[in-house]
Amino acid sequence: MNDVMLSVKNINKTFKTKQVLHDVSFDVHKGEIMAILGPNGAGKSTTIRNIMGIMYPDDGSIIFHNSAGAQIPRNKIGYLPEERGLYKNVKVMDILLYLADLKDYPLDRAKERALLYLKKFDLEGKENVAVEELSKGMSQKVQFIASIIHEPELLILDEPFSGLDPVSQDVFKQEIRAIADAGTAILLSSHQMNLVEEMCDRLFLMNQGQRVIYGTLDEVKTAYANFKCTIHGTNERSLYEQIDHVERMEILDDVATLYLEKNVHVSSWLRQLPETLDIRELVIDRISLHEIFIDIATNKGQTIDSEEGDIHA
Amino acid sequence: MRNAMKVARWELKRNLKNKSFIIGLFLTPAILALFLIVPSLFSDDEVEDVHLFITDELNIFDTLTDIAEGEGWENVTIEETNLDHDSMLDVVFRESQTAYLEITEKHMDEGSIPLYINEDVDDSFTFQVRSLEDPINLIQLERLGLTQEEIETIASGVSFDMTYEEDVGASTNEGEVIIESDGLFSGDDPLKRAVPGAFAGIILFSIVMSGMMIFQSASQEKKDKIAEIILSSLSPGELMQGKIIGYFALGLIQVFVWIGLAIPLVMWKFDIAIFEYLFVPELIILLAIAVLGYLLFAALFVGLGATMEDVSTSGNFQGMVLMLPFLPLIFLGPILSNPSGLIAQIGSYIPFTSPAVLIIRLTLLDVWPWVEIALASGILLVSVWIFMKLAGKVFQVGILMYGKNATPREIWRWLWM
Repeated sequence: MNDVMLSVKNINKTFKTKQVLHDVSFDVHKGEIMAILGPNGAGKSTTIRNIMGIMYPDDGSIIFHNSAGAQIPRNKIGYLPEERGLYKNVKVMDILLYLADLKDYPLDRAKERALLYLKKFDLEGKENVAVEELSKGMSQKVQFIASIIHEPELLILDEPFSGLDPVSQDVFKQEIRAIADAGTAILLSSHQMNLVEEMCDRLFLMNQGQRVIYGTLDEVKTAYANFKCTIHGTNERSLYEQIDHVERMEILDDVATLYLEKNVHVSSWLRQLPETLDIRELVIDRISLHEIFIDIATNKGQTIDSEEGDIHA
Repeated sequence: MRNAMKVARWELKRNLKNKSFIIGLFLTPAILALFLIVPSLFSDDEVEDVHLFITDELNIFDTLTDIAEGEGWENVTIEETNLDHDSMLDVVFRESQTAYLEITEKHMDEGSIPLYINEDVDDSFTFQVRSLEDPINLIQLERLGLTQEEIETIASGVSFDMTYEEDVGASTNEGEVIIESDGLFSGDDPLKRAVPGAFAGIILFSIVMSGMMIFQSASQEKKDKIAEIILSSLSPGELMQGKIIGYFALGLIQVFVWIGLAIPLVMWKFDIAIFEYLFVPELIILLAIAVLGYLLFAALFVGLGATMEDVSTSGNFQGMVLMLPFLPLIFLGPILSNPSGLIAQIGSYIPFTSPAVLIIRLTLLDVWPWVEIALASGILLVSVWIFMKLAGKVFQVGILMYGKNATPREIWRWLWM
């Protein structure tokens, strides 16, 4: 888990006059799933394209630790870009073997793995079918197989779940986890916070080209995800306002969500709730990654200092 | 280069498995062959016998029949007639396959002998019967009282005795007249130049056409959004090189299939020993020009393809670039009338027209303008290098730009990035 596979160090990138990446730095370790998150236009895909050598940073460095020399070890990297597709009028097996060949992977082994994964993704018997005859979901699965067919040491997945139905999302989730457990370092970009929360070991949240949060999921939650208490019951707003240690509240019909202060002691706080409070249901948990993300995307999270955001490096 | 060859192999394999390519590969020569064969099936090669009546007031009938025999007139029956002018006209206009030659003292004096031909008679007869003009001219000269010696002098006429500088070489004798000539098929066998020229022309046409497929390939790669996946394994330069090599090989396969089908047909139809004319040293130069032409257009098209996602929405700029291979057509007329003229020379120095113009000129010219060839090839070579560099820059940025076609302004900006 501590073997660093990839280090991105202080990369900057400017398009025309707009700086799209500001001192972006993070590491990806062997066997972990590292999520790179952020709203649209945050700079995630640009960061990934810089790692892949599709474009180059203005300054900073990208280091592949298992590779000698300055060249990007393309053969050791698997890449599933956000904007992706396949040649339409070729057979599934032909394209998988072509992409494996480009990675210098032995073709007989590639064929074996292709058949194995086609079976795993419920595409058995589709190897001689033209890509244009596949559904969107099937095509997504073939693209995913193409990115892992050569047993990469580093796998970069840019929005791997987009366009997938929940069943396929689960299949992908399990497979990504299995690949990471087998030792592959995975850098994953996604908007689906629930999936990221379930899967990733560490995350790098960025906005407007800058790091906002960086650390393990637990560390991020501890540092940024305060507790929130959701109460179902018929109560006056004034009654909620009497409760201490509440930063803000949202009340919708009979459901009130109380966002608690950072260092509140939950059990003590629960004991001081008014006895007259009508409680049909009460849930207390931390703010989800999704809510943190929304805060960031709507600029509520801009108050987080970039240094403060460096939880774990 | 290894990756470029992998891309080339893939492009080749992908197209060779493509049904529309295979159909086009065999359909094009089939259509051409159809154009060549079908008209001859409907044309009537059997020329019917013509009955030529002659009124002979000069007693030269035997001489004329001897000439006809000597010329091998197998389909003409010559008969002397004593019928008068009107009766003979009646015969000629009434009976098909008849003609009437009226050789009288009066017409000889006037210098014009009427020949009446029925409308059914084949045009080739008029060329055939002209071989009788010379002996009748000699008889006219005899009638003027010239001596045999004078007649022979007049009959032999005056002609230029062509001597080319290259034949004389440096040892030209002083006083010997050297006639400069364009050498347009001057006395030599026209096929000597035409066959290698046509071969190189077909190769240029075929590989430039397959070069246009590069445009579609790059454009399709953008549309299918596979470019970024491919570029995770190799550099944009390797991808571009691979496409250029792959489509070059595809063009060559196409041309060899076409020529493989065409040569037996041409040998059968025209009875020409094509291989003797084809495998000459000049072919190497013609092929080199064709290959340079391909590389120029391939660079242009691969760059252009990377700027467009959908050919149907191409703007005027892209449309104009796609028309560039057809630019030499505007020079065709002037080149055919004067292959060494100013227009032909200008066409040889413009990179987009130079491959086709040079091939046409060198096919027509018996004496090659080596200085012009060297200069034009040099310009072409430098242009290929420049366009490859520019195409590389456009390809690198354009292939990853999704969702819209690039504007000329954007392309211009990419060139200087």
